[in-house]
Amino acid sequence: MPETVSLVLEEVSEEALKERITLRKVKASVDMYDQLLQAGTAVSIETTHNLLDLICLYCDREPVEGGGPQTEDTEPGEGAKKRKIRFQQSLVSPKCTWEENNNAERLFNVLPERDTRCYSALIRGMAKHGAYEKAFSMYTGLLNERLKADIHIFNALIISAPNVREKYTERWELINELLTHMKEQEVRPNLLTFNNVLQALKRCGTVAKSKSLQTLYEMKALGIAPSLTTYSYILEIFSRTAGVVQTTSNMLPEIMSELSGKSFTCQGPNDGAFFINTMKMCLESIDLEQGYKIQSLLECGENWRLLGASFHQGIYYGTFFRLLCEREHIDVVLKWYKKLIPTHFYPNSQGLGKLLQALDAGNRLDLLPQIWQDIRTLHHEDKSHLVEELLSLMTRDKHSPEVQESFAACALDVKGVFEIVAHGPPLEWSPSSLKNITSLLLRANKTQQAWEVLQLFKSKNRIPPNQLLDDFLSACHSSGSAERALDLVRLSAAFDLPATAELAKRTLAEFQLTEEQRAILSDLVSVTEFSD
Amino acid sequence: MANMYRLLFRTVYTARRSSVSVCERTVFPAKCDKASVFRVANGGGVKALSTSSVRLCEKKDNVVPSTNADDMADQTESPPLSTQKAEDDGKVDNMATRVEKPVVLQRDDGGTIKQQMDVKIEQIIAKPKKVKTDGVKSGKESLLDLLGTMKVDVTNKRKLTNLKPQQNYYTTPKSEQAEVATVEASSKKSETLDPELVSAASAAASTLPNRSQAESALLMKLRQHEAIAEAQKKGNMNNLGEIIADMKVTKLNRRQNTGTYNQIQFDEDGRGYKQGAGGFQISFLREKRLDIFSPTTGEDEVDFAVARPTLWDMDYANWLSNSINLMPRNGLEEMIQWTKEGKMWQYPINNEIGLEEEASVPFHEHIFLDKHLKEGFPSQGPVRHFMELVVAGLSRNPYLTVQQKREHISWFRDYFQQKEDVLKEADVYLN
Repeated sequence: MPETVSLVLEEVSEEALKERITLRKVKASVDMYDQLLQAGTAVSIETTHNLLDLICLYCDREPVEGGGPQTEDTEPGEGAKKRKIRFQQSLVSPKCTWEENNNAERLFNVLPERDTRCYSALIRGMAKHGAYEKAFSMYTGLLNERLKADIHIFNALIISAPNVREKYTERWELINELLTHMKEQEVRPNLLTFNNVLQALKRCGTVAKSKSLQTLYEMKALGIAPSLTTYSYILEIFSRTAGVVQTTSNMLPEIMSELSGKSFTCQGPNDGAFFINTMKMCLESIDLEQGYKIQSLLECGENWRLLGASFHQGIYYGTFFRLLCEREHIDVVLKWYKKLIPTHFYPNSQGLGKLLQALDAGNRLDLLPQIWQDIRTLHHEDKSHLVEELLSLMTRDKHSPEVQESFAACALDVKGVFEIVAHGPPLEWSPSSLKNITSLLLRANKTQQAWEVLQLFKSKNRIPPNQLLDDFLSACHSSGSAERALDLVRLSAAFDLPATAELAKRTLAEFQLTEEQRAILSDLVSVTEFSD
Repeated sequence: MANMYRLLFRTVYTARRSSVSVCERTVFPAKCDKASVFRVANGGGVKALSTSSVRLCEKKDNVVPSTNADDMADQTESPPLSTQKAEDDGKVDNMATRVEKPVVLQRDDGGTIKQQMDVKIEQIIAKPKKVKTDGVKSGKESLLDLLGTMKVDVTNKRKLTNLKPQQNYYTTPKSEQAEVATVEASSKKSETLDPELVSAASAAASTLPNRSQAESALLMKLRQHEAIAEAQKKGNMNNLGEIIADMKVTKLNRRQNTGTYNQIQFDEDGRGYKQGAGGFQISFLREKRLDIFSPTTGEDEVDFAVARPTLWDMDYANWLSNSINLMPRNGLEEMIQWTKEGKMWQYPINNEIGLEEEASVPFHEHIFLDKHLKEGFPSQGPVRHFMELVVAGLSRNPYLTVQQKREHISWFRDYFQQKEDVLKEADVYLN
């Protein structure tokens, strides 16, 4: 409700109370109600019910922009964030705690006669906001007054059952007892009842396995179609007890074949989590076939809508992509890559790392420069592990000249990235990255740039490896620049590398040098030799 | 070899297990798909690692109806058949019991039985191609067939005399000392051969000498069985009790069998995973449930429709709509959504959209509204003037329906009738 709506009716009347309730102004409506009581006016039972509902839903606090009750530390801006991660919250995650003797309880106790709906409001509120013991004691009170509970009371109590008992068996017994009460009071269970049973069973340890299946069969016997949440809970229970791999190979195919081709509507807030959980299971047990089945189920009808916000889509598709990279042929991986990115999700750096590995395994390293472009687009170029891996993959083997050219161009680009200060501190040059870049440039005969990178070694206080210097010398030899070779030897002397002598000797031997140069080199040779 | 046996055991018992639910099948014993036939040393130490199926085979020797055997398979969970530490004699006895009566087990001379045992000794490899499947198709039942294999024996039992001459032929390939288990596919009964069993059979048979000979012998037998199958199709079921009573069970094998049985079959919840062919099967109505609620018809649903949505419901609906993604994926979907909401015209453009009802109302009912002024209003005076103006205005109003115009006029009628006193006082109300 927008804050700008102001109240119209100011007088003390039931109409005003109703208005406040409709506008969801908790405090104002409580005040109005108190005033009405003091004035002696009777408030209709309907309005009382609505008032109690309002107070219990929002835990006696004002609702925030996001729709939930205000917690102690909430601000308006947080509402949006809370909306984003709302997916994960179950129906009873307490955002605020139920206080002792708050308005709801007070009003409840004052009521001359209480019927099921009053109890229902209270119990639901207590269960939602963490006062589980109280909810159960209120239920006992309801039984004492010989009232019949309704379905919402039972649903709320079932979901709170694990919170009021410690041992697994006791938890299940409590749930069982509640269900029996339901039967006695002739309250028909619905889908939410059974989903709550399963959700509670998740916290019941080993008992859960058999009972969950029995619950499923009960549902089927009663003609209640299980929803995706149901299956998700069952799979979770079995994963915990029997292990993920076994569950994936035994249960998941059955469930997938049962569900295949069906289009679902959202019957519970956690329906989309089914896809995420099952895909995670497939990733853990590396079951590609089931992964494809889940994907096809997702594409069926409007099921993709169940995934919800982009956050969850990202998780799901990221998991799916990782699974593909593990097992699939590289061409298929690339096909899915083009399909999913960036339309469906943006991969994170782990996903991209997996892709690099898959490219390596599938021997498509020539695509690395393109992937680097994608990395830059996705703004993952600041992930050092990704950059390192990319460079090492490029440097590891020698490739054909065109590929080397492209690699060299890519290496220059990477070098450019290292110097960007745009988003915080730039990447740290590591010895391996320097070496890799230099090698790549050398291989593509970009000697000048390689020389510049070599200078960087000094400025960043890194030691160039011997192999690199040798390669450089060979490159100099092939390009015939003796001057450069001399500089190289001087550089290595500046580093005090033991290989300086070797380099100097090689230079003396292979190059055509002027006398002056020879002299310098011989000096270097002798210097280093003596210093050994 | 031991592994092979275990494999066979396992497959046999899984088949077994699945077959339990099949209560009645008139599967012909003669056409066993698979039979484990153990080579029994003739007269010597018969160390039959006999499986249940073997037992069945033997038993069914003399039992004409396949159903008997199948029922036997069904009813005898732990194969009493299984354990044969069959001494020859033991076997012989059993055989003997079954030999005589096609219907009732009888004790007989051991000779024929022995020979029947020999018959069974055939290492016959059931090849899938040989399977003439008739009867039930399901994997369960094919496995059941395996258990209930009595291919060789059935023929024997019926035609003891006929078979005798054949027995010599069949006994030739005995390379006695080897104990080999072979799995036969009963020709007639099931269409699907459990591939595991087939492979097990071939594996088993591969150790056999005289394989080809055994094979040809088996083929002949199978053809025979097929011929007999028709006649024996209506098996009689009355011998079952006696058959079972005659089964000898040795403790060792029983333990062994039930051990494997339990390993595969049961989880602590009693539902069990079936490895191999079954997998996890959700056969809903037959499985154990909580048994708290009873299925009813939908008479209770009425209440929910009546109750108005409470704040809780609205909150829940809000939560649901937040958790799913209703955003359009592209511009086309966006346009569809807007059209549904009414924000966009519907194409092709229809000028009269929303006015379908009005099309059936003739224009004169909109325009000529004087007739409504005939009664309830004074015919002269300021009131009349006023009403005529009202009617003139209404007639030029294109936005109201005829009904709405009539309601306007009737409102005025009531209003002026209420205020009749005031008007009379002012001398305005002239009739």
